[in-house]
Amino acid sequence: MLDDIIADVRSRFGESILHVLPEERRATFTVTRPVSHEVLSRLKAMGFDHLSDVSGVDYIADGEFEINYHLWSHARKVRVTQKVRIARESPLIESVVDLWPGAQIHEREAHELFGITFEGNPDLSPLFLEDWTEIPPFRKDFDTREYVKKQYDDDK
Amino acid sequence: MSNLIPAVIRSKAEASAASLWVIHYFTACGFLELFPWVGSGYDMERFGILAVATPRHADVFIVAGYVTQKAVRRIQRIYDQMPSPKYVMALGSCPMTGGMYWDSYATVKRIDKYIPVDLWVLGCPPKPENIGHGIVMAMNAIKGGFGGH
Amino acid sequence: MTTSDPEENIISFMTIPFGPQHPASGHFHAMIKCDGENVTELTPHPGYLHRGFEKLMEYRTHVQNTMLSDRVCILDPLANEMGYVNVAEKAAGIEAPERGKFIRAIMAELGRILSHLTWVGVISYAVGLESGAKIAWGDREKIIRLNEIITGGRIYPCYFMPGGVRRDLSREHADGMARVLDYMEEKLKLYDDLVFYNTTFMSRLENVGTLSREDAVALGATGPNLRASGVSTDVRKDEPYDAYPYIDLEVVTGEKGDAYSRALCRRGEIIASLSIIRQLLAKMPAGDFKVKWPMTKKVPGGEAYFCCEAARGEMCFHMVSDGSDKPYRVKIRGPSFSHALAIFPRLVRGAQLADVPAVYWSLDPCPADMDR
Repeated sequence: MLDDIIADVRSRFGESILHVLPEERRATFTVTRPVSHEVLSRLKAMGFDHLSDVSGVDYIADGEFEINYHLWSHARKVRVTQKVRIARESPLIESVVDLWPGAQIHEREAHELFGITFEGNPDLSPLFLEDWTEIPPFRKDFDTREYVKKQYDDDK
Repeated sequence: MSNLIPAVIRSKAEASAASLWVIHYFTACGFLELFPWVGSGYDMERFGILAVATPRHADVFIVAGYVTQKAVRRIQRIYDQMPSPKYVMALGSCPMTGGMYWDSYATVKRIDKYIPVDLWVLGCPPKPENIGHGIVMAMNAIKGGFGGH
Repeated sequence: MTTSDPEENIISFMTIPFGPQHPASGHFHAMIKCDGENVTELTPHPGYLHRGFEKLMEYRTHVQNTMLSDRVCILDPLANEMGYVNVAEKAAGIEAPERGKFIRAIMAELGRILSHLTWVGVISYAVGLESGAKIAWGDREKIIRLNEIITGGRIYPCYFMPGGVRRDLSREHADGMARVLDYMEEKLKLYDDLVFYNTTFMSRLENVGTLSREDAVALGATGPNLRASGVSTDVRKDEPYDAYPYIDLEVVTGEKGDAYSRALCRRGEIIASLSIIRQLLAKMPAGDFKVKWPMTKKVPGGEAYFCCEAARGEMCFHMVSDGSDKPYRVKIRGPSFSHALAIFPRLVRGAQLADVPAVYWSLDPCPADMDR
């Protein structure tokens, strides 16, 4: 169902598209970091007007974060996911608020929980946690059970 | 239940027990089982219990459900603003021990380290009948002279 | 409105906190800047219910996570269970038997009616119609007791399992359900008179908080909030899952996108759910209701993505597995995240201060699925 979309993206971006996983109603593109914003821009132009989510995955063994953009097209009723990997040491990527204004809060959440900086996002202040002094809690090197034992031990 | 609220109120303790006003603070999932009490399912108004908007009018603080680190400061402030005598009821297993979220970095594990608690009601969430049992215990205790804090 | 008197101008600009302790805010906080009665800006401050669900799920097996997933959106637990068990099944390459899928769809629709009744109560409170709340929350008891008889749990059923459901739906359960559906259909006439077509209710919500189609799509609206602005997207129709391919589903949409359109959309969904449950009960196949899923089943490495239609909108689960019995990463997309944090501040700009709770609850946000 998404053959034309896959063909279009492949022809425009060539080798920057590292991998494509086609399913019946969904396609997953893995792209290189430099073209990430452009590919998303092209997908939006092809009708993917709904940004469902911007989420991070911590691949600590590889030293990388993977950012997933989940998109949906109201007109064509199909989904696309774009994956891009960035370095874990100083995680930085362009924001997509210029394409989908609703992305602002998803990126703010990813910033708080993983520490990823989205360039161009107007507000990356903390969303859920107040006076948080540890590393971003969803990173794999943050052990929540160790933290609870240390922080709340006198409560037991 | 008919002898909980007598036909003629003879003492201040009886009057207090017959009109416990609860601060309107929808803490967390424990509160879901208070909806039947607010609605016509179990109806708390017939026992004189009302939900009020301002801490200055409230007698009872029900901590229903888990409390995050962010919320506990607000809870302490609301508790301080309630005039004495006041009573605190902890609903559910989360304020008691951390409950389901015992390993969460964001929730406090024991609410009685932050505010004094008078009544604990077990459950996840406690059934309305359990909450009713707790309310009756509280009303009887207050009628019997329990002064709160 | 500002006046030309400079002293009055200073007094009329105020910053007011809305919540977290407020009769109409749920456990959510927003700072409202207003100029007299007109709201100029609203800044949401979520996080009072943040537990770090997605992190907690990495420490538990899939069966344990099903228990935990109930509590993601506390007002609509079965939709969360539906999302989690489906994504776990996809990751494991397993399919539930047909009967299990039918039972899941029936219970999820019952959960939708329950959630909308809770919403009728809170929107009634927000506009000052307390009787609506008292009656709706009393009627909720009927469905909750049905939940208890069928699943064992009143609020948190923990009924769906990866592979099917925990227990079968018996003939007696189905008969009891049919009686509750008849009762709700009868009661709808009362809700129409008392709430939905009540002139005060209508005047409080008409032309208030109007969400245009462009804004709805750009800011990530889903569910009844999106459909009331004219976009006909419903996951049950567009990507049918479980037993939804077997039924006729009418997608309820609105035109104007104001708070009243959203209210009518939810009313339409209650009616549609009653019809869906009846269709499913009539077509339910016999057979097994689950396949075996051991307590510490290892799921092969890979990824799975699943979306379902919760009462509030599109709920998506993205699971990454690494071959062990615990997921490597679970990302939950709660529908209320966009509604309360992106759409709500946009809608109240320029509105009257007294309308803020009405606009807030017309979006039906659940602070728990916002914060997770």
